[in-house]
Amino acid sequence: MSGLFKRCLRASAWLLLILMVAGLLSYGSPCVKGADDASVGVGNADAAVRQAFNATLEAERAGANVSGLILRLNEAGTVLGEAEIALGKGNSSEATSEAGQCVGIAESVKSDADALKASALDEARTVFWAYLAFSVVGIAVFVVALALVWRRFKRGYVGRTLGMKPEVAHDEA
Amino acid sequence: MKLEDYKVVFAVVGLICVLLLAVPALSLAVHFPAGEKFSELWVLGSGHMAEDYPFNVNESGSYLVYLGVENHLSSSAYYEVILKFRNESEPLPNETAGVFSSSPPLYVYHAFLQDGQSWEQPLSFSFLQVSAAQNQSVVGGLTVNGVTLSVNKHAVWDDEGSGYFYELFMELWIYNVTSDAFQFHNRFVGLWLNVTAAS
Repeated sequence: MSGLFKRCLRASAWLLLILMVAGLLSYGSPCVKGADDASVGVGNADAAVRQAFNATLEAERAGANVSGLILRLNEAGTVLGEAEIALGKGNSSEATSEAGQCVGIAESVKSDADALKASALDEARTVFWAYLAFSVVGIAVFVVALALVWRRFKRGYVGRTLGMKPEVAHDEA
Repeated sequence: MKLEDYKVVFAVVGLICVLLLAVPALSLAVHFPAGEKFSELWVLGSGHMAEDYPFNVNESGSYLVYLGVENHLSSSAYYEVILKFRNESEPLPNETAGVFSSSPPLYVYHAFLQDGQSWEQPLSFSFLQVSAAQNQSVVGGLTVNGVTLSVNKHAVWDDEGSGYFYELFMELWIYNVTSDAFQFHNRFVGLWLNVTAAS
């Protein structure tokens, strides 16, 4: 009974060892995996900052005031720089944490930039129609008024001309 | 004046007034070209002036300069200022061909600027593992803003300048929205340094 128990225990130990080796081979070393995750994280942060900048630029082109967004983008850029330095120094956990913080700032900037762009486009549309209406109505009213003034002036001019008496000219010579 | 003359006066006055009334609508469609578009990159001494630049430096000292960028591109821009280190034999960026230096980047600043806005950041640096023997000097490392970096650069003795000369230089790169990549913006500034071991 004791021999059977020992054999079972030995078999279990071997099985456990084989599973651990297989696990290590399939997932790689934890250190390398951490560095890979950090590298991917910093890459994602870089991409998120670029997307946030693209959205900010579009908002600016739509006429929005983006000074607040630029300030936050600079904050994201500083955190991205710190993440890159941590990655370069092999500090994976710090790099991952900084990259996550950077993605958070960049995503919030992007979302605010999209909202600002939409409101700026709405405002620009309103301004466009108001300016167009002012110009078109203003020109129409002015042309009609000018035509009426011209008619009145012309009538007066013709009346004055017809009402003139011919003068007799003397030939002094 | 004849009636025809008055007609011409009315037509001219009418045309001028119509143009004035059309200005608000025209301003939405007509855009005048902006002035020259460019970016500035500069380096200032520790007193924020173009003087007192470090030149004779050694391993025991710590040095401070200020880096600046200004945007005149008529729209916001995303810049990178890349710090590099070279000896006299390694090439500088080629401004004529618009080609950046092949030296590896050591430190990167990220800056976002609106049109007309400027950015200035301190750059503090010191040298590590500086040694010199047989007319050759080696700089093992560089500390930039508290970050230790390995450089391993060699320089030979310069008879003309009486020193071992290295250049700490900064390239300006700009993010291109169309290609979704940074490109060299054809601007760089540098500091020549005569690096010696601790005295």
